[in-house]
Parts: sequence; C-alpha cells; structure tokens
Amino acid sequence: MAQAKNDVLSGTLALLVLKTLARGAMHGYGITLHIQRVSNEALRVEEGSLYPALHRMEQDGWIRAEWGLSDNNRRARFYELTSKGRKQLAQEEKNWSQLTEAVASVLQFG
Amino acid sequence: MSLLSRIRGLLGIERLERDLEEELRSHVEMRAQDNIAAGMSPEQARYEAHKQFGNMALMKEDAREMDIVRWLETAEQNFRYAVRMLRRNPGFTAVAILTLALGIGANVATFTVVHAVLLNPLPFPHPEQLVRVYDDLRGSNSGDIGMSVPELWDLRDKSGVFQDISVAWPVDANLTGGERPDRVEFLGTNTNYFTMLGVRAQLGRVYTVEDSQPGFTEGITISDGFWHRVFGGDPNVLGKKIRLDGDLYTILGVLPPGFRHPGRSLGSEVEVFAAAGFNAAPFPVPPLRSVRLLPGTIARLKPGLSVAQAQARLDAFTAELSRDFPVEYPPAAKWGLRLVQVQDDLVGKVRTELLVLFGAVGCVLLIACVNLANLLLARAASRQREIAIRQALGAGRARLIGQLLTESLLLATISGAAALITVIILKGWLLRLAPADIPRLNEVNLSPGVLLFAFAVSIVTGLIFGLTPALQTVRSNQVTNLREGSRGSGSSKHQMKISRSLVASEIALSLVLLIAAGLLLRSFWHLIEVRPGFDPHHVVTAKIWLAVPNDPTKDPYQTPEKRAAFHREVLTRIRGLAGVEQVAVGSQNSLPMSSVHFQLRFTIESMAADSERAPMAEIVGISPDYFPLLKTPLMQGRNFRDEDDSKGQRVAVVNETLARKYWPEGDAVGQHVRFGGVLPQSPNIAWITIVGVVSDIKSDGLDAASAPRIYLPVNQSPSYAMVVYLRANADPGTLGDSVRREVQSIDPSIPVFGVMTMDELVAKYLEQRRFALQLLGVFAGVALLLASIGIYGVMAYTFSQRTNEIGIRMAMGAQRGDILKIAVSEGAVIVVFGVAAGLVGSFVLTRFLQTMLFDVKPTDPITFAAISALLAAVALAACFVPARRATRVDPLVALRHE
Repeated sequence: MAQAKNDVLSGTLALLVLKTLARGAMHGYGITLHIQRVSNEALRVEEGSLYPALHRMEQDGWIRAEWGLSDNNRRARFYELTSKGRKQLAQEEKNWSQLTEAVASVLQFG
Repeated sequence: MSLLSRIRGLLGIERLERDLEEELRSHVEMRAQDNIAAGMSPEQARYEAHKQFGNMALMKEDAREMDIVRWLETAEQNFRYAVRMLRRNPGFTAVAILTLALGIGANVATFTVVHAVLLNPLPFPHPEQLVRVYDDLRGSNSGDIGMSVPELWDLRDKSGVFQDISVAWPVDANLTGGERPDRVEFLGTNTNYFTMLGVRAQLGRVYTVEDSQPGFTEGITISDGFWHRVFGGDPNVLGKKIRLDGDLYTILGVLPPGFRHPGRSLGSEVEVFAAAGFNAAPFPVPPLRSVRLLPGTIARLKPGLSVAQAQARLDAFTAELSRDFPVEYPPAAKWGLRLVQVQDDLVGKVRTELLVLFGAVGCVLLIACVNLANLLLARAASRQREIAIRQALGAGRARLIGQLLTESLLLATISGAAALITVIILKGWLLRLAPADIPRLNEVNLSPGVLLFAFAVSIVTGLIFGLTPALQTVRSNQVTNLREGSRGSGSSKHQMKISRSLVASEIALSLVLLIAAGLLLRSFWHLIEVRPGFDPHHVVTAKIWLAVPNDPTKDPYQTPEKRAAFHREVLTRIRGLAGVEQVAVGSQNSLPMSSVHFQLRFTIESMAADSERAPMAEIVGISPDYFPLLKTPLMQGRNFRDEDDSKGQRVAVVNETLARKYWPEGDAVGQHVRFGGVLPQSPNIAWITIVGVVSDIKSDGLDAASAPRIYLPVNQSPSYAMVVYLRANADPGTLGDSVRREVQSIDPSIPVFGVMTMDELVAKYLEQRRFALQLLGVFAGVALLLASIGIYGVMAYTFSQRTNEIGIRMAMGAQRGDILKIAVSEGAVIVVFGVAAGLVGSFVLTRFLQTMLFDVKPTDPITFAAISALLAAVALAACFVPARRATRVDPLVALRHE
C-alpha cells in the first residue's frame, strides 16, 4: 500500500509544508519549489506524497484551499494556514527540536 | 474524521474530483513552463513535467482515499485485525461466542414468543375493533355470568356501538357414523361470525347472514384440522353430510389452516362451527331476558370508536335497560356489560409471565456481557503495551477504539448468527417445552421483526461488552502504560476499580433474578400446600356427553327420568369393573379446575324481602358417592342418598362458603332456596331444602377463593354433560377403555373422552406456574453461576497481580489467616455493594410479579434475606478459592515474582 510508505514521511512532510505555508498562501507547485530551493536541493518533495498530504491536512483543518491566479496568471489552488494549523506547526516544531536535541545528545555521547 | 464530514465528503466527491484534476493539471503546466524557461523544448518540457509528476491517475486515487475509501479501508483493516486477534486466542473466542450465543439465543427465542403472542396483532382485519362482551353482576361480585338472547338482540339492534356481534358458545358434540362415536369441539355462533372476523374459507364458503334460521343452520364450516383428521383432506368434502348429536349437517366450507377461534374452547381447538338464531329448538322458546344461556360473546366495534368510548355508551345503555326491566335487572344486582379487547382477553393471563421471563432472560444476557467485558478488560491489560506502542507511533485514539470495538462487534454478530441458527433448528423442540395453554403459540415464526431483533440485540450486546474495555484501554496515559508494560504488570488501579464495579453490578442483577425465582418458588410451595378440599390420588375421570338433537322429539334423553336412568345404569355397570372401589358422576362443572361454569340466581325463603341482592351460586349436580369418593368432608347435616330422586323431596347440599355467607350463625341446614323462574321449561319452582353443608372444594384453582356452590342430587336434576369419577387401583388407560366399553354397551352412540387422573388434572393446572418457575429458576441459576465466575475471575486476577505484595507480607510474618482475611474482606466489599444494589433493584422490580405470586408479598422479607445470604455466601466462596491459592505460594518465589 502506498499509504504505509507515506505514513513514515508524513510526519516530516507535514512540518515542512506547514512551515512553508507560514510564510503565506502558496500553491502545491510553489511549495515543492520552495522546499527544494530553501534546502539547497537536499529535500525533494514528491508530488505523489504532497497532494495526499495537502488533502489530509485540509481535512484535518490545518490548512484551507482557495482557487486563485498564479504569478503568471495561471489558475491554481492556493493553500493557507488556519489557526489550528498554526498551533499544529508550533507543536510539530517543538517535537522536532526535542527529537533532534535527543538525537544530537546521543550522537555526542556515542 | 467525524462521520458528518465523511458524509459531506461523500456528497461533494464529484466536485472534489474536478478540483483535484484541475489542480494537478495546473501543477504540471507550471512545471512545464519553468522547464521551457530553463531551455527545454515544449515537448520535452511537458514530458519531463509528467515524468516527474508520476502517474496522475494513481495520485488522484491516493488523494481521494482520504474520504470514503480511506474509511472503508480502515473498516476492512479493523475487520481483518479483529479476525486475526480472535483466531490468535481460540480459547477466549470459543468461550465468548458460546456464552453470547446462549444469551442471545435465549433472548431471541423468548422474543419470538413475545412477538407472536403479545406484539403481533391478531390475524384479522382491524383486530383492535374486536372485543369480548362480558355480563357481570357487580352487586354479588359475579363476573362473566353469560348473556341472554334478548340482551344479544338489544346489543345488536339498539346499542349503536357494534358493527357486528356474535355468540361464541363452545360445546361438546358427538360425531356418529364412523367406526365409533367421536367427541368433537363444536362452536355455536351467529351467522355473521365469520364476516365479523373477516375470515374466508380456503375451500367452499363460510356461512353468512343469508343462511340465518331461528334454530341451527344446516350448513356448517369445519376447521382445517378436522378436514384432515376426519376426511383426510379430501377435496370433495363440500356438500358431504355429517351427523352431530343425532342431527345431519352439510359441510359448506373448510377454514384456512391458520384460523383459530379467538376465544375460549372446552378442551381443544374448535373443529366444527355451526350457526344458530337461538330462537327455536333446541333453545328455549321464547327466549327470556333472565335466562343467561349464552356463555361468550364477541363483537366488532363501529369504526373510529375506542373501547373506552364504547364502554361509556354501553354503560348508559345498560342503565336504560335496567330502568326498563326492573324485575330482570334489580338495581342491587348492578348488572353491567364489560368490554375487553379480544387480544387482551386471549393473552391477558400470560402477558405478565412472558414479560417477566423476557426481562429475566435480558438480565442474563446483560450479566454475560458484564462477564465478557471483564474478560476483555483483563485481556486489554496484557495488550496495553502493544496499544501504548501503537499510540506512540501515531495511531489515533478513535482508530484504536474503532479497532477494539470491531473486535467485540464481530464476536457479537458471530454469536448472534449462531444463536439465530440454533433457534431456527430447535424451534419445534423449544415450543414443545412451553405449556400448551399459552395462546397463539401456533403463530410463532421467524418474522422480519424477529430477525431485526436478533440483529439489534447482537449489535447492542457487542457495544455493551466492548465499549468499556475499549475506552479504558486507550484512555490511559501512554507513557505510564509503556512503563507499566515494561514491568510486566497489567492493570492500573483504575482498571481494577472498573472490574470491581462490573462484578458488583453482576451480583446485583443476579440477586434480582434470584429473588424473583425465590418468590415464585415460595408461591408454588404455598400453592401445593393449599388443601384443595379433595383427594386427587387414585381418582380417574372421564367425560360423557349425551347428544342433544335440535329436534326435542328425537332426543332419547329428553326427560330428566331418562337421563337419570342412564346415569344410574352407568354407575351400576362401572361399579362392577375390576379394581374399582368407588364410582360417582357429576355435571361438567363438578370437575375441579375446569373452566365450565353454570351460575344461577337463587332466592332464599327466609330472606325473601332481600331478594334484590340476587344471590348467585354455581349449580352442580352430583351422585351420592361424589363427596365420599373425593374425600370431601361433610360439615353439617347429611349427604345425598339414592332415594333423593324425582319422587323424593327436593334437596340440596351447599358448600361452606355459601353457608357462611348467608347463614353465618351456622343454621343453613333446613333452610329453603329456589331458582326463581330461571329455568322455564322445568316446572320446578318448588322450594329446595338444604340438607347438608360440605367443606369447600377449590374448584376454580388452588389460588382462587371458592365460589358459593349449591349441589343438587343428579337424580333430581340430571344433566347432559357428565363427568364419571372412579377411585380405583388400576391403570387409568385400561380403565378408560373399560368405561368406554360399558357406556357404549348401554348406548353405542355416546363417546367417552377426556380420560385423565385427577393428579394429572392438578398437575396440568400447576403447569403454567411450574413452567414460569422452572424457567426463571434456570435463568437465576445461570446468573448465579456467571456472577460467581465473574467474582472468581476478578479476585484470581487481583491476587496474581499481588503475588509480590503477598510474598512481602508473608516474609514479614503475616500468617495465612491474615492474608485470607484481607482477601475475603476485599471480596466482601464487592459483594456488599452488589447485594445492596440488588436489594434496591428487587424492591423496585418485584412488584411486577404481583399477579404471579400466591400468598407471598412481592417484598417478602424472608425471601429477600435468605436469597441475599445465599448469594453472598456463594460469592464469598468464589473469592475465597483464589485467595487461598495465593497464600499457598512460597514467599521466596512470590518475592522474586516480577
């Protein structure tokens, strides 16, 4: 099942998407470009993971979507954070830093 | 995701799909444009964009599954997981399914009967309009005294309440012309009987108003059973003639198999339906208002009229009639008519019993659920680690609850299906267990209502036993669980508390059932101890019916002398049979526990001025040996003698109840009574002298007060219907045959039927009570067993958890007794709570048993105390066993136990 594979990713992917959207509303393509660019091409977001994740986050009420026009006047679906999503972002950021700290300290002592 | 949003998703699925497609297309195009900007050719750019994107259709699937698909998939996963879990624990699964299937099966079986007997409307159009009409004399507290023909006509023509009204008069009839005379159950009705009920014949036609005659109509309708019994289902039966009581009748039609007369019959199902106008021979002409011949009347109310409204109009109508006929309806007699819906009339007696049993069987299922919940709770404790890990990995609580609930629902539906199949297979056998006098049992079948009930009860059962453990499992803090789990221990304190409350509630429920069974048992004891006023042992009874032809001139037994001679001949011949010690005959209503009544108004000579009170008594004809044979003691005066015949002085013996009622000073003997003008065809308006007072016989059942009775010598008032009594030390079956032979050697056209010992008679009377008692007893026993298992299980689990603690205590010097004391006192807390709750429940609930009790109050303190003590003892024993086992553990082992 594709879902099992996504599940592993979805934790980090959600964090990345939420963080990206914290800067302002953006369409799916824009999100992939942003993550790619900011991570210096280190992180690539598969479209096959992105849209299901976006859809799920929308269902969960973290983000909401609206049709709009892109920079080059193309119709595109723009996603934007809700207040619930903002809280979720804060939570996930915290979790992430805790995890990395924990991993870092293990590495330090290892 | 809430169900609501899921449904919304389902409804908006089309729009969603369009959005998704457009969104994906715009994504690809944006990337292609960027590729062109980076220097690719348009084709290459588009190709790359598509390639990078992957399969668009597949992704659409992925995104869509968030909705209904994801939900369905979750359900499927849950289901597979549940199946896996159940298969991994075959022992647990088997026990659970067996317990539940038994519980659900018992409920489905009981509901099937409740549905057919109580809930299902009678199989007639507008059954709510059908009523029984009862005549009462409220002044002398006499109910159902029968109706006179002029009253019937008044009700039909003038009351304005009924669409239709018909007599329903069950009588015996002699079918002759076959190998030997046969007794048939015969119902005399009016010609509109079938059109009133809305019943058509399966073959031929039913009689209608066009067939009306003053006397009996020649055309009759027969039941499906009679058609098969006598004619072997012959399709050419129409137009055939049969001879009943010497008269020829023509068969007009055969009734459908499911049809049953919705009222009382004498001994079996009605086989022959015949119509009469009740205004010519064999009925007295002209019909008199004071002769209450007609024993039962059924009517159909006008449309739109409720029973209460009809009753109110009828009350006004009877008041008017009473003013018009002051002689027939003396004000002090308080004559009145009472309407009872036919459905209530039929099942009124068993309604309480069925509902009580239904409640009890529901209780047992609830106890089984509680036990199972406890089992799941304990199992959940051992699965807590697994759950905790899954929660830590991100499984949502709703998802976990759904998964656990799927498991219990699966268990419940499997059990429900098993139960339903078992009930279907065992239906015939189960029905045979029920006493025959429960009405409408022939209508029992597995209707959609029953299937729906079975499904609903399974689901509810699954939710009841699954919800608490499921909630409890995911409720607890995952970190603690991981830690607890790592120590290998199981339940949290909270979980134990829930287990204990569950067990306490089990004890409470079983106590309610046990007390109900105890009350019934005490009633039954009291009932058996009632002195019936006769000695039933070694007495065989048989019935004889002298035919009454419609033409009196053809009646060989028309004069009382001829009937008396026949009775004398029967007595003489049977007295000569081997093994027979005593013989007596009596009228139909001389047989105790029979439902046949013959009540008359009488006048007392010395109280003539008070005649308006209209005293009523049951009139019974007997031969002199009746009281000695039944060992009923004579209190005063003398018994009948053979000389008390048509030439002698008219004499009577009265029972104690009547004597005490009218002659409390004890001077009944020597008084005169007469049945003033009630039987016009017999000129005996002469005074009758009371020559003796006899002790009461419990004729209307052991639990009913004796009615006032006047016994007349059979030689002075011989009846057509007779009961023969034999006190003998011979086999009842052969005795019956001998009696038949002797009777038919006198008159070959007379059947002998209803051969029965009086012990059987009493047993049959007790059968329904015995049935209710046995069933409730079994239910209570099962409840007790389940509750004991429940408390045993919880205590055993507690102690296995506390082996360590016990080891420490014992190492510190605690004696075995000390440990036992702690253990038992902990169990006692549960028991005390359970018993207290059960007592409160019983106080509230036992009042519904009222009508099933005899000589016992619903809150009988002795029963309450004794049963509570019994239950407490059993429950404490159940917790003593695991406690003792816990103390046997070697302290060293116990200390090391981790």
